[in-house]
Formats: sequence, structure tokens, C-alpha cells
Amino acid sequence: MKVKPDRTLDCLGLYCPEPVFRTRMELDDIRIGEILEVLADDPAAEADIRSLVKHLEQEIVNVSKDGNTVRILIKKVK
Amino acid sequence: MSQKKRILYVQTSGVDTPERTYAPFVLATTAAMMNIDATIYFLIKGVTVVKKGEAEKIKLGSFPSLKEVVDQATRAGVKLQVCEQSTQLLGLSRGDFIPEAKVVGAATLNDLVLDADAILCF
Repeated sequence: MKVKPDRTLDCLGLYCPEPVFRTRMELDDIRIGEILEVLADDPAAEADIRSLVKHLEQEIVNVSKDGNTVRILIKKVK
Repeated sequence: MSQKKRILYVQTSGVDTPERTYAPFVLATTAAMMNIDATIYFLIKGVTVVKKGEAEKIKLGSFPSLKEVVDQATRAGVKLQVCEQSTQLLGLSRGDFIPEAKVVGAATLNDLVLDADAILCF
């Protein structure tokens, strides 16, 4: 999927709950309509970030995996 | 998800079991990040966790100190409440607690329980 993120958050090597905390901070920081790319290798990160995004009522644009690394694209919609 | 959900964490474990002290703060901070209203109620030995100077003494493995975790929680907006009867049980006074922890009564806990969407006890 060819979506160009406006910002990338590198959570590689970070464990729960840090990826969730940092994703929330970045989402607060970007503008509506922008896309945040989160990279994480904590096995808990994908489910946790999906849950976070659901509660914040934002939108997951795409999730892809490369080995242990998950790449999550989140669009700030509100 | 128009109305904000509420989770109440009840901490009855004290500083004598340090491995049981981190989870309520980490979960409550995560809840705050998820736009969930989070309160930790400290009861029985749990009140020792928010006694001044105690969190500084606890640091497990590669985790940050408990003090850092407590500060992170309060910064995120997590409310900390302390059971007054428990402080009396342990011979502590109101001034013995960190300023973010508010000493409250039993009726407050019952109200918090009734108002919460979910309760977790530690």
C-alpha cells in the first residue's frame, strides 16, 4: 500500500507500555489528516496499538509485518 | 464511545510485596492514554505504596523506579485515592502521603465502585 506517512515513530526495542504511550503522544502532536507510521518489535505492540487507536477513535490505515517488526499506519481523523 | 469509560484499580498490596506495586500504575496510565478515566484506590497495606518516600525505594530489574511510574501516572491524569481507615489501621496520618494522593472515606470507594465500568484488584 503506497501511503506516505507524515511522521515516523520508532519504537523498536521498546516494551509494553512504551509503544502505546509514545504513540498516544505522537498522535496528540500531529495534525488532523496526517498519517503516523509506528514501527515496533514488541510482540504486544500490534494488539495494544490497535486497542489504543480504537479508543482514541482514530483510524488504522495499514498494518504490515517484516520479520518481527510491525509497521502500523495511523491516520488522525479527529 | 461518546461517554468516557471508567476503570477503578484497587491496590491492597503494599511495599512488602514490591512486585505487586507496578501494575496498577502502568495499567492506569495506559487507560488514561486510551481516554479512559482511571482511578487507583489504595486500601489496607496498599496505602504504604503512596506513603512519602516509599516509591523511591522500589526498583525491580530493568524497570524504572516505582517513583518514576507513579509520576508518569499522575502526569497522565490518573487519580490516586487513599482509604482513611487503612491509614489509621497502620498508624499513619494524612500528612504521610504524597501530595497527589487524596485521603478519602469508605463511602467514596463504594461510589467509585458503583460508577466504574470495570474494577481490577491487586
